[in-house]
Amino acid sequence: MMQNPTFIRGPFFQAALLIFVAGMLYRLVRVLMLGWSKDNIPPMGSKATGVTQSYLKGLLIWPFIPWVKNTFSKNPVIYLAGGLFHLSLFTIVFFGAPHMLVFKSLLGFGWATIPLPIVDWMATAGIVAMIALLIHRLTNPVLKLISGLPEWLNWLFVFLPMITGYLMTHHLFLPYEKIFGLHVLSVSVLLIWIPFSRISHFMFYFFSRTIHGQEFGKRGVKP
Amino acid sequence: MPEESVYDSLQKEGVSRRDFLKLCGVMAGAMGMTSMPPLEKSGLPSSLDVTEAKSVERIAKAMETQPRLPVIWLEFQDCTGCSESLTRANAPTLGNLVLNTLTIEHHEALSAAAGFQVEEAKQQAMEKYAGQYILVVEGSIPTGEHAAYCTVGGRTAEMILEEAAAGAAAIIAIGNCAAFGGLPKAKPNPTNAASVLDLVKDKAVVNLPGCPPIPEAIVGVITHFALFGVLPELDKLNRPMAFYGKTVHDRCLRRPFYEAGKFALTFDDEGAREGWCLFKLGCKGPTTYNACASIRWDSGLSFPVQSNHPCLGCSEPDFWDGPGFYQGLSAPINRPNATAVGAAAAAGVVAGVAAGAANKAKKKQANEKEE
Amino acid sequence: MTTQDAMNTFVKDTGGWVASQLEACTRCGICADACHFYTATGNPEYAPVWKVELLRRAYEQQFTFSGKIKLALGIDKKITDADLNHWSDLNYQACTVCNKCSIACPMGIDLGSLLAGVRSGLAAGGFVPEDLAKAVQLQLDEGSPLGMTDEVWEDRLEWVEDDWEVDIPIDVEGADTLVIFSSIEVMKFPTNIAAIAQILNAAGENWTVSSTAREVVNFGFYEGSEEHTKQFLKTLLDGAKELGVKRIVVTECGHAYDALRWHAAHMLPEANNFEITHITGVLGELVGAGRLNLKPGFYDELDAGTITFHDACKIQRKGGHIKEPREILNLLAPESFKEMTPNQEQAICCGGGGGVIAIKDADPIRFKSFELKIDQVNKVGAKTVAMSCSNCRLQYVDGVGHFDLDWKVTGLSQMVADALIEEE
Repeated sequence: MMQNPTFIRGPFFQAALLIFVAGMLYRLVRVLMLGWSKDNIPPMGSKATGVTQSYLKGLLIWPFIPWVKNTFSKNPVIYLAGGLFHLSLFTIVFFGAPHMLVFKSLLGFGWATIPLPIVDWMATAGIVAMIALLIHRLTNPVLKLISGLPEWLNWLFVFLPMITGYLMTHHLFLPYEKIFGLHVLSVSVLLIWIPFSRISHFMFYFFSRTIHGQEFGKRGVKP
Repeated sequence: MPEESVYDSLQKEGVSRRDFLKLCGVMAGAMGMTSMPPLEKSGLPSSLDVTEAKSVERIAKAMETQPRLPVIWLEFQDCTGCSESLTRANAPTLGNLVLNTLTIEHHEALSAAAGFQVEEAKQQAMEKYAGQYILVVEGSIPTGEHAAYCTVGGRTAEMILEEAAAGAAAIIAIGNCAAFGGLPKAKPNPTNAASVLDLVKDKAVVNLPGCPPIPEAIVGVITHFALFGVLPELDKLNRPMAFYGKTVHDRCLRRPFYEAGKFALTFDDEGAREGWCLFKLGCKGPTTYNACASIRWDSGLSFPVQSNHPCLGCSEPDFWDGPGFYQGLSAPINRPNATAVGAAAAAGVVAGVAAGAANKAKKKQANEKEE
Repeated sequence: MTTQDAMNTFVKDTGGWVASQLEACTRCGICADACHFYTATGNPEYAPVWKVELLRRAYEQQFTFSGKIKLALGIDKKITDADLNHWSDLNYQACTVCNKCSIACPMGIDLGSLLAGVRSGLAAGGFVPEDLAKAVQLQLDEGSPLGMTDEVWEDRLEWVEDDWEVDIPIDVEGADTLVIFSSIEVMKFPTNIAAIAQILNAAGENWTVSSTAREVVNFGFYEGSEEHTKQFLKTLLDGAKELGVKRIVVTECGHAYDALRWHAAHMLPEANNFEITHITGVLGELVGAGRLNLKPGFYDELDAGTITFHDACKIQRKGGHIKEPREILNLLAPESFKEMTPNQEQAICCGGGGGVIAIKDADPIRFKSFELKIDQVNKVGAKTVAMSCSNCRLQYVDGVGHFDLDWKVTGLSQMVADALIEEE
């Protein structure tokens, strides 16, 4: 299979995409169908304001300015690593030229991308952040307690595409096409893994962030 | 009488010593400086063991001493584009060298004779030079029950190749068709086309893929074997490292624009006019190993990217079956169509609803139990 | 009362709202640093994510495909009595449901609600700590977990009226506002009752207390039992209905306010017939509208050192009454009032809420957690700590005694009442 990445870049990746779509929808529908009760409590503040603040905090303040909240001051490196990792991932996945072309071929439209040197620095930062997060998970007593096999696999399956992508762009160890095949293989594995793991938090993030905003907003306090 | 050397025949043609040395210089470049074989392999006197800087001298010495190399050139499922390419080699002398001087004993397209005469001549040459000649194959070979799609003189390409390969010193598969199957092998491969390497397992085979290959590469490899008696250093796909060691992207004159993130997005936008990178128009340069960007075509005049067209990746296996010439090289080869996505989505929703219904029943039961 | 009952409740109570938040958790462990019990002890089991683990496992095993696969592969095991006992200890002894973890969570998961959900299951399965279960039983039997029977209540109120020379209108039909005290105030901080009565009388409020709806404390809510919570809430709403009041004011009690203001209407829709608020909100309103004749800078003049304010999780962070105490203290003590760090929504819990203070076994970690408050208060150099929750106040008084501190612990209402200018 590794001799011929055509299979990976072709049917395998396609199957992974379809499993991803089916799996995410399955999970979403299953959660939605558990039922939602109506909130009939008269609010003290605006839910809408709370939700807006909740997202602003979640997207801007939380990952990048750890010292604004006392809670985060104890271990800023880890909060920064988490934020940096996500920033790196999103920037590269959506604004790296080769990745955009994947979306373009699937969706039929493209968008502007970021020059390679910037993407490269981002990738380096992302990989360093991932390693920092792994060390944190290996040493922090709470994380040791809550990490089982699925958590280690989460890390691995996210890290593999990052490291293969990096090796590919830097032409290290293996010929470009081989690593390209490995890269697409690791991405496919990740795509299949996501619906069955906690990496799908990117979908439920919108539930929890909204709920958080509503709960704090309706009480008139800052989320 | 000792066999005539290449230099001897050139002298007959009136080539001066000065021109001869100049030609040796061109050839040193064409073969690639890095691919000089070790002397013990090439069978040349050890007095010739010179440093790379003196490779011209070494070529001159070889041309003065080595006998002429007979070449048998076969065409199967091809378009003769590779032969055409050879006739347009950089220095006319270089093309002549191969076509005339090195003795092409048999080449259907270039042969004055035709029909049984030509077949006859081929048989004679094969017998005369058995174990010595270079077999050049152009075009892919239909196999199995589809072998009849290509016959010459009532015999299938498969049979002809088998016979010719048996007596060859080495085989050069010219063009993507002979090297990797090329266009005939593209999906759905109606003739069950195969490459030379698919069929010939017991001979040294050099692949010179490309559609067509760069003429300097053809000349370079043939003269290399002619002069040193061994094949140049090859990569994992049996391509000579001298010509296929670097990607088009690595040597591309538009590479700085790639790094800077400046891309042409259509063929007539500002980027295209400014000569920016064609990566987003589907250029396969980063994964294509060939010398187009360095040697270029038509005496170094230009190459596709320079002429504002993305690289198609024609020196790579299965380049017809990629994501598409104008799709990014990273694009998935198979794109799920709307039906497949719809089916997957529907399957996900149905599974979700089924699980949801089961969960609801479970919750209902739990509620009843409580009461 | 078995594990089966606990699981049944988990199944029953887990809707999309809970499930989507359980699904959102990435197990990053950041919530641990928000928890005062974890910070104080360093015990990783006190991380909120781990306290919710029981609910997550129940959810996955009951509702999800991956949970069933995990069971089949042996990555996860069926939930046992031992698990429930263990998580009972974690949740009742080492959690005050203060919801600070929810602010720390990068996904914004409302962990407080999920932790309450864990308690529901534990309560249904009968895995409630003995001390808490006893208190609930007492409230069921006598109407109050602190032994505030009819006679005791009458005696105490009479005594307050006499001693502080204040009128407390009882069972006045047609009053606008029903004030419901907690038994902690009645039994341990009677000054609060006098203070609130003085303030409401001074403002000319048309208010009353009820002899039936007289115990705002709700140990069923601590316990997590919907049945008990509902029963105790119903007593209050029925009493309010009888008197025909428009507004119910919860006095300085956190969880009772949380239950009545933010949960009652889900179980008893008639709760929405009343405006339900907290005394802190009323104080803010009265002070803001100038209906109280207060002496500005009263506490600066007393010169009794720095005053700081402790934010109660159920009244400030979860209750929304963050501004009012600041407005009042900035009026009464503009110089001597200083904020602790962190404060307001970010405040650290006293460590005694959520029923923890009622559980003897939790004493060691409860005091350990209180050390965080000692540190905070000492940093700001306060000699007086004010708060609007009697449960916090109980914890502070206990802590001050345990650690032999020289702070004055007081209630916000009392501070307002003391600063009233007497009208002769």
